[in-house]
Parts: sequence; structure tokens; C-alpha cells
Amino acid sequence: MSSIAPLTGAAQSEPPLFWLRLRRSRAALVSAVILIIITSLALLAPVIEFLLGVDATRVDLFNQYAAPDSTHWLGTDEAGRDVFVRLLYGGRISLLVGLVAALGAAVIGTTIGLFAGYHGGWLDTVLMRTTDGVIALPLLPLLIVLAAIDLSKLGIPEAIANSEMASLYRIVFIIAIVGWTTVARLVRAATLSVRTREFVRAAEAMGTSSAKIMLRHILPNVVSPIIVATTLSIGVVILLESVLSFLGLGIQPPIPSWGNMLTNAQELATRAPALAIWPGTVIFVTVMAFNFLGDGLQDALDPRSVRR
Amino acid sequence: MTIRGMIATAALATVLSTGAVQAQKDELVIGISQFPQGFHPNIASHVALSLIHGMTRRPFTVYDAEWQLICQLCTTVPTREAGTIRDWTTPDGKDGLAVDYTIRDGATWGDGTPITTKDVQFTWAIGREETSGVNNQELYRRMEKIEAQDAHNFTIFWNKRTCDVAAINDFEVVPAHLEADAASDPSVYRSRNAYDTDPTQPGLYFGPYRITHVEPGATVVLEPNPTWWGTAPFFRKITIRTVENTAALEANLLSGEIDYIAGEDGISLDQALTFEKRHGERFNVVFKPGLFYEHIDLRLDNPVLEDIRVRQAMLHAIDRNSISVRLFEGKQPVADTSVHPLDQYHVDDVRKYPFDPALAATLLDEAGWTDIRKGIRHNAAGEPLLLEIMTTAGNRVRELVEQVIQSNLREIGIDLRIRNQPARVLFGQTIRQRQFTGMAMFAWFSSPRNVPRTTLHSSMIPTVGNGWSGQNYTGYRSDVMDTAIDRVEVGCSEEDQTRHWTTIQQTYAQDLPVLPLYFRANAFIMPKWLKGVTPTGHQYPSTLWVENWTAE
Amino acid sequence: MLAFLTRRVLGMTIVLAVMSFVVFMLIGLMPGDPIDIMIASNPELTPADGERLKRLHGLDLPLWERYRNWLGVALSGDLGFSRTYNRPVLDILLPRLGNTVILLGLSSLAAIAIAIPLGVIAATRPQSPVDGAINLFCFAGISVPPFWLALIFILLFAVTLGWLPAGGMGAPDACLFARLEFLVLPVATLTIASLAGYTRFARSAMIEVLRQDYIRTARAKGLGPARTVFGHGLRNAMLPLTTIIALDFGSLFSGALITETMFGYLGMGKLIYDSILGNDFNLALVGLLLATLVVLIGNFLADIAYAVLDPRISFRALEAA
Repeated sequence: MSSIAPLTGAAQSEPPLFWLRLRRSRAALVSAVILIIITSLALLAPVIEFLLGVDATRVDLFNQYAAPDSTHWLGTDEAGRDVFVRLLYGGRISLLVGLVAALGAAVIGTTIGLFAGYHGGWLDTVLMRTTDGVIALPLLPLLIVLAAIDLSKLGIPEAIANSEMASLYRIVFIIAIVGWTTVARLVRAATLSVRTREFVRAAEAMGTSSAKIMLRHILPNVVSPIIVATTLSIGVVILLESVLSFLGLGIQPPIPSWGNMLTNAQELATRAPALAIWPGTVIFVTVMAFNFLGDGLQDALDPRSVRR
Repeated sequence: MTIRGMIATAALATVLSTGAVQAQKDELVIGISQFPQGFHPNIASHVALSLIHGMTRRPFTVYDAEWQLICQLCTTVPTREAGTIRDWTTPDGKDGLAVDYTIRDGATWGDGTPITTKDVQFTWAIGREETSGVNNQELYRRMEKIEAQDAHNFTIFWNKRTCDVAAINDFEVVPAHLEADAASDPSVYRSRNAYDTDPTQPGLYFGPYRITHVEPGATVVLEPNPTWWGTAPFFRKITIRTVENTAALEANLLSGEIDYIAGEDGISLDQALTFEKRHGERFNVVFKPGLFYEHIDLRLDNPVLEDIRVRQAMLHAIDRNSISVRLFEGKQPVADTSVHPLDQYHVDDVRKYPFDPALAATLLDEAGWTDIRKGIRHNAAGEPLLLEIMTTAGNRVRELVEQVIQSNLREIGIDLRIRNQPARVLFGQTIRQRQFTGMAMFAWFSSPRNVPRTTLHSSMIPTVGNGWSGQNYTGYRSDVMDTAIDRVEVGCSEEDQTRHWTTIQQTYAQDLPVLPLYFRANAFIMPKWLKGVTPTGHQYPSTLWVENWTAE
Repeated sequence: MLAFLTRRVLGMTIVLAVMSFVVFMLIGLMPGDPIDIMIASNPELTPADGERLKRLHGLDLPLWERYRNWLGVALSGDLGFSRTYNRPVLDILLPRLGNTVILLGLSSLAAIAIAIPLGVIAATRPQSPVDGAINLFCFAGISVPPFWLALIFILLFAVTLGWLPAGGMGAPDACLFARLEFLVLPVATLTIASLAGYTRFARSAMIEVLRQDYIRTARAKGLGPARTVFGHGLRNAMLPLTTIIALDFGSLFSGALITETMFGYLGMGKLIYDSILGNDFNLALVGLLLATLVVLIGNFLADIAYAVLDPRISFRALEAA
């Protein structure tokens, strides 16, 4: 296969083949459809809110724990707010956090993996030792430390540190800075194998700068593992957000997220089990879908791989 | 199967198995949600610890369930009439008081050593040591000296004249014969004291129970103390188990691992209300509104809140009655001022603020917030009516109430932004150093007839200059209030007290330095067979009368 | 061998040293001093009291100076006192560490014991409905919020069925066996979370191995499928599995935090969490370092297991790696 590789080193997997393979994995397809539905519903939250004639933030103490009906499809919560629409708004936040944090982690991981793999030598040793170290750490306690530090002590402007969205920025940031290890290892491994290929050699011989080689020639060829790892980690991040919420360190109310809705409902589990079941279920389904999709993508993008 | 179905089955299963539970009811397992941080009564300060020490120790004086001052370790409460409170002048010429106490007969440490005035003087001495780690040094420093007449009688000489001088509820006597060595170097007393190094040492306790086993973070086991002077307690073993997750705490109660969830440190009120509905036939749920005054502190120097009409409008716009009825089923009464209705000097004749959005809107119009754009009021300068509210993050009930208030105020055109912080940040820094910009919702927890000097007197506004001391976080200044507070502390006659307390409450309701919300209630979840537990409603726990607890 | 050990110990020391510095600084960036809270909640305390208590707890010095002091004392063997428990940190930590090691050990064993057969079954029938079902089960295990799963376990097994205690540790003086019933739910919760990864890894390792020539040879020699799989295949498939388990130890530790909180199990995870939030510097720091040390030792043991399992690898090769 390498003999027909174009000199530019552009990605080789042909789209039709990719789709053909992805279609073989029914679970991945179903997952993709589920994710598309959940994402579009979340994006359409304001529209649905308007169509149903409800207000996700308006408290109505005379309509607490209402049973599902034609207006409140999933009933109302302890403050009389519509559970369905709040789930959609929560989904926006949870999916946003998942996506941005996973992308952030992917960017960090790719950079580290590319440098380590392409330059090799002591840089590789240092970077990979660090990666191993970070993987070995008990991460959750460290995340707790990171989640508890005072942003304004770090010189972050008061306006951001004190805004309602601060908990969101913080969570994205801390997950990204600890979540990059998988991508880094995968990218490094892929880079190592691409580095010796002819088009890279050729580019080197022509005196192309190393930054350019990494960006133009190697990156496009290591993109598959990045996509797979990122897809998988979106699910992991959504789960992690719920865990941090459970520990009181996640997205803070009044912004709804699936994690804080679930944590909130936990104490009310005996009175209104549905309040715990809905967010729990959407987290479960979404994370599961991301896992299946990632798995399917891996099969589709890398024909040689055994499904792991 | 849904969780609802599971719970229903659970109730059934447990009803069938209650026979087994009743067979061994000479033991009691109390569930609480926090573990005490250390066991020294004067160094650690924690609600869980006061709950435990209520059973293992007794204060000299304390407020009982009727909020009257009574003696536990002493024989009679000192009074001026009996001559046991006398005027005294300090060496440097200040007005002071001399107060006599007698240690009751039969008061004996768990190892058989009698409790004497030596212990009292030892406790006072270590309490005054700069480095001993004792929290409440202010208390010991106000005691100029303690003179012992004999082994049982002693006199405390105070360097100040106040009306509540007889109450020495927080003077926690410690055993000189066990602690003298550890205290010989005060700077290491904190880590060497026997309460923390050897908490099961019998000689540390003199209550109906003593600690026989400690598993840090999880359980404290208490067994009867043979040297206890009073009625022998009913239970031959009391285990205090900590389960921090309140959902799990509840599950432990249902599965029978815990018999009783203490209201002092248990589950939240709305959780308890739900619990009562579902399991009311198995458990007695007692709701005791107490001296937890939930309120919103306002920054009175905020240009928006400076205007009393805005403050009044807000209170008229918050549907406190619905909050109380809908969220707490009326168990947490709406507060008019900071003085509890059960308090001796509570007056009902104060300005009240019933829910009235129309009136609230009128008040805001008068205050110049007339221009309504997209539902938010603006003033003539085009500034939006925007305020920030803060409370303790992770406290679900407060966060819920906060969102109700946000919704209520939105109806009259106030844009309320929520910014919560963890308790240790909020109380440790933001509120204390007055860094909140608009409103801060939290609770005061106090003892009966607590003079609100630290929260309302104008000399108690925290500033950089005074090292952030004082609790007048709102920055409230009122001559009328200052005078009333000054007088209520020294005018000890019944008439004076009534007059000044009335002034305090009326001025408070008139000026609204804070928005009163409600008095929080604690929920005590007891098995039907547990009798004799009487919640106090103040900071001194029901366990101080544990010898009255029985099972039937 | 000796050189290998030296290198590893040196490596661990460096990781621990870096960790201690980073964590110390991070904790210092947390807002809300414990003494400030004490003062705020007790109006009787004067600012002078605050200063006094801060000096007493060493909180008045700049951060780096506190670190230097701590390091100096720690290296001399005194790890200091826990501020919240008023006891030497090791007195608090060691029993907790024991509990956590029991919890993690049991759930690791359970996960391996279940994962390997599942992985082998799936590998021998790739793409079959059985394989699909195992795969689905694995994904479900890693997709459920762990605290939610724990709550459902409590509601189902403790509250509804009454089979198992909802939490706790059992009578303090009871033997391990008597405490076993308290371990079932926490171990199950943790196992489910780590099972998925192991099973999928065992499966792919097994598929890889089954393709190898020597397996084909064994088959050709007339060995039965069971003997081929378990006799030849499994041993080789175990190799990559040991690595993944070792690497997983850190995340297992994170899982322990949640499990311990939900079941009131007295482990390290919960203790570290509480000490971080309670600004108990010493306890948090030593606890985190101890946890890291446990994870590093876990990795180290996995490396040794790797060498034992695979005769082709010597310690020399490990050194080079």
C-alpha cells in the first residue's frame, strides 16, 4: 500500500470504502443516529421550549413533581420546571463540555505525540515518561484539587473567574489538561510508523522545515486514531462531568447539565425516581453511543486493526 | 422495575421483618452526616462532636428544650437575688462581675476521680494559653480569674458586666489529672491531649456514656459510664455512625443499619418530608424549627440596595409563604425578624411584608426603576436593575430557594444573577471580607436571647482596618439600633429587656438591613419504638438529655 | 536486576517529588482558609485569635516557605499532623490505605476472573451474537455513572431485597470474613467499571494470539480447541493484559473515591477528597503521595509479572524499555 502513497501524504482512506466499512457496523450506525437525534434536540431546545409553551427557568411552586402530560412531556421537577426541556438544555451543556474538552485534549495530545514521535531522542523520552506518569496518577483526587483552586489567584480576570459560566470553563480546562494522554500515545505510535515512509523522507531531503513536515505530511496520516480517541473521550468526559457534579465540583446551578440534574435528583430518589432516571438514562445512552461510534470508527478507519 | 416499585417492596419487606428489629432494642445506632474533627471539646468545634459530647459530658449551664437556662454540672443557676452574682471591680478599675458556682455532688470522671475546682482552674488556665489551640479563647480571657473556695465551690471573676453572665455553657471542663502532663508545654497540647491521642480513656468523660471505640471517619461507640451521677441510661450501647452521602444515609435507615437519624446533623428538610410521606408508618419524623435564621444579607452600600424602597419591594416580591408551604410544607415558618417566635422577647408588632407583587412594582416605580425593557427594569440613566446573589454551592435546598427567588424577582423586573461558592470560600472569604456585591443567602445559628451585637451594631462592620472582625456584613448603621443593643446588654431588668428587644425587632423590620426568609427546621427521624428524644431547637443538642431516651 | 531496581526506584522518587511540589502549590491556590471559617462562624474570636491560630497552624508563611519546611521535616521522617483529625497523618492514613488496598485488590481480582473467560469466549466466536452480547455488556459497564450505579445497587440489594448492608464496614472488631458482606456491593460497583476494559483487551489479545503460527501448529498437532486456547493461547494473551491492568490502577483508585463515598467505606479516596476540601494540607499531600506510590508499585509489580509470564523478556530488556 505504501508504494502507491501520494507524495503529499494526504489521507489515504477513500471515503466510499470508509462508509462501506462503517455501514457494516450496525451498532455504530445506530449510535450515530441516536447522537444526531440527541444533539439536534439539544440544539433546538429554545424552539421546542417555545413550541411546548413552557419556560425551562421559570419556577412554579404550585406545579412541583407534576406527572407527564401534553405540555410537560416528562413532568416537572422539584421547582415545577419542565424536565424535558431542562434535559435538552442540560444536554447542550453536557455535550458542549464533552466536545470542547475532548477536542482540547486531542489538540494537546496530538502536539505532544507529534513532537515525541517525530523528533525522538531525549524529547521523546521526556514526553513519554511524563505521559506514563500522568496515566499512572490517581487522577480524580487531582481533578478535585484543580476544581477547587481559586481562579482569581491565577491571575484570571475577575469578570471571567466570577461569571456564571466559570464552572463550565474550568471543567473543560481541567479535563483537557489531564485527558490528553491516550491521544498522545496513539499519535506518537502512528507518527513513528509514518516518519520512515518515503514521502516524509522525500520532504526532509528537500529541506522542508520539521514543523511543516509534521503539519502537512504526518498529521493527515495520523488523523484516524485521533478521531477515534476523541470520539471515545467525549463519552468519557460526559461521564466525568457527572462524577464531578456528584462531588459538588461540576457545572453549578442555575445552568443545568445532565450531571448536576442527576446529582440533584439523587437525594430525591425516593420521592421522584423519574427525576433521577431521566438524566441517568440520557447520560448512559449518550456515553454508550459515543463508545459504540468510536469503536465502529476504529474498525472503519483502520482495516488492519482487530477490534479492541 | 422502577425505583418507586422497589421502594414499595422495601417497605413491605421491612414491615415483615420488624419483629427481628424489636428483639434487640437495648442498642441504638444513630446516623449523622459528618464525622467530628477531633474530640477535644475546647479545641474541636463541630456539630457532630457536640452531639457526642452531649452524651459523654455535661456543661455547667445550658439552655433546655424550653429555652430556659438550667444547671447540669452545677447545682443552681447563679442570680443577683440569691447573691451569687455580685458586682466586682477589676484591678484596672473596670466594671466586672463575680459569679459563684457549686459543682454538683457525685460529679466524677469515668475513672473514679472526682471533678473538682482544680479541673475548673486547669481548664481556665489552658484556655488562656496563647498556643494551646483552644478555639474560644475570648471566653477564658473575659474571665479575669477563677477562685476556688474548696473542692466544690468556685467563683468566676468577669472583666465585663453583661446580663447573660450566668450562662457558661461553653466552658467545657477537662480532667487536670489526665491532661496536666500534655498541657505542661501548651504549644504541643493540641496534638498531645488525651481526647485526640486516647479518646477511649474512661477518665475523660463524666456523662451517662463514655466513648469505648472510635473508628475515624465512620463510627463512635458509646457505652454506659459507671460513674455517672444521674439516672442510668436505658441503652447499653449507642453507636454513632457517619454516612456522608445523605441518600445513602437514608438507605441505611431503611435497611435497618441505622435506627435513628439525628436532626442536629442529618438529612435536609425536603428529603425528610418525602421520607415521612413514604415511611411515616415506620418512623416518627419530628420537625423542630430552630434558631437557624435563613436570610439574605444585603450590601447596603450598593447603590441599588441603598434605596430602602428597593429592599422593601424585593421582600414584597418574594413569595416566602409559598416557599414555606410548597417546599417545606409549612415546617419552616416565615421569619419577620431575626428573633425567633419561641424566644422570650419576641414581639409580633413589627412591620410585615406580605407577598404583593403589585405593591413591589409600585415601590420600584417610585425608586425610579420605571423603564422596562425585555422584562428588566432600567432607571433614567439606562442602567439595568441587576443584582447578584450568592449562597453555598452544593446545598441543594438553598440552591432551590435561590432559584425560586430569582424567578420571583424576575416577575417584577429585577435581573438576579446567581453566583454560588463552596461554603469554605463563601464564609471564609467572600462574606467575611464583604466581597459579595449584592445579596448573600445563609443562616445564623445561635443560642436563645443572643444579642445581635456582632451582626447589627455599626461598630461591627468588618474592614481591612479592624482585621475583618465583626459580622455586620451588610454595613448597617443605625443609631437607634446601636443604642438599643448597647442598652439591652446591660439593662438586665425584665422591663428593660422587653423594651430594648422590642426596639431592636421593630427597627430591624423597618430598616430591612437583611431580607428575613424563614427559620430552618431540623428533621429528627426516629423509629416508633424510640421514646424520650426532645429536640431543643437551639445549638445545644438533644443528647444532653440522653438518659431520658428509652425504647418500648 | 539490581540496575533495573535502582532505575525504577529512582524513577518513582522523581515522580513523587514532582507530585509533592505540584500538589502543595495547587492546594495553596485554593481559596478559603480553614481559620478564616473558624473566625467567621464564631463571633467571639478576635482578629488576634485568628493571627494566633494561623501562626499555630503555620498558615502565615508564604507558600514556598511552607513547602520547604514541610519537605525538610518530612525527609527526616516526620510527616506531620492532620489538622482536622489532630493525629499524625500516618495514623489516619495507614488503616485507610489497608481498606482501600483490600477493596481495589478484590475488585481487580474479580474483574480479571470475569474478564478473561468472557474475553476468551468472545475471541473464539468473533462477530457471533455471544460476542455482540459481551461487547454490549462491556460498553454498558463503562457508560453508567458510577455513583448512580451504586445508588441503584443500594436501593435494590440493601433496601428492597435486604440481602446486603447498604454501607459501612461491619463491626470494628470483626474478622475479615464477617466484613465480607460489606464488601460485596462496593467491589461489584468497582468491578463493573473496570471489567469492560479488561474484557475487550483480553478479547483482542486472544484474537491476535489465536492467529499466530504456533497455535495453528498446536491445532494441527491435534490438540483439542479447549487445550489450545487455555494451554497455549491464554498465557500469551495474559501479557498485554498485565500491562493494561497496571496502567488501570490509577483510574481504579479514582473509582474507589466514588465507591467509598457512596458506601461509607473508609478508604483513602474519600479521605483524600475530604482533606483537600477541608484544607488539611498534610493529610491531603501525604495521602495523594501514598496513593501515587501505591499506583507506582502496582505498575512495578505488573512489570515483574510481565517478565515472569514471558520467558522471552528479561530484566535487561525491561531496563532498555
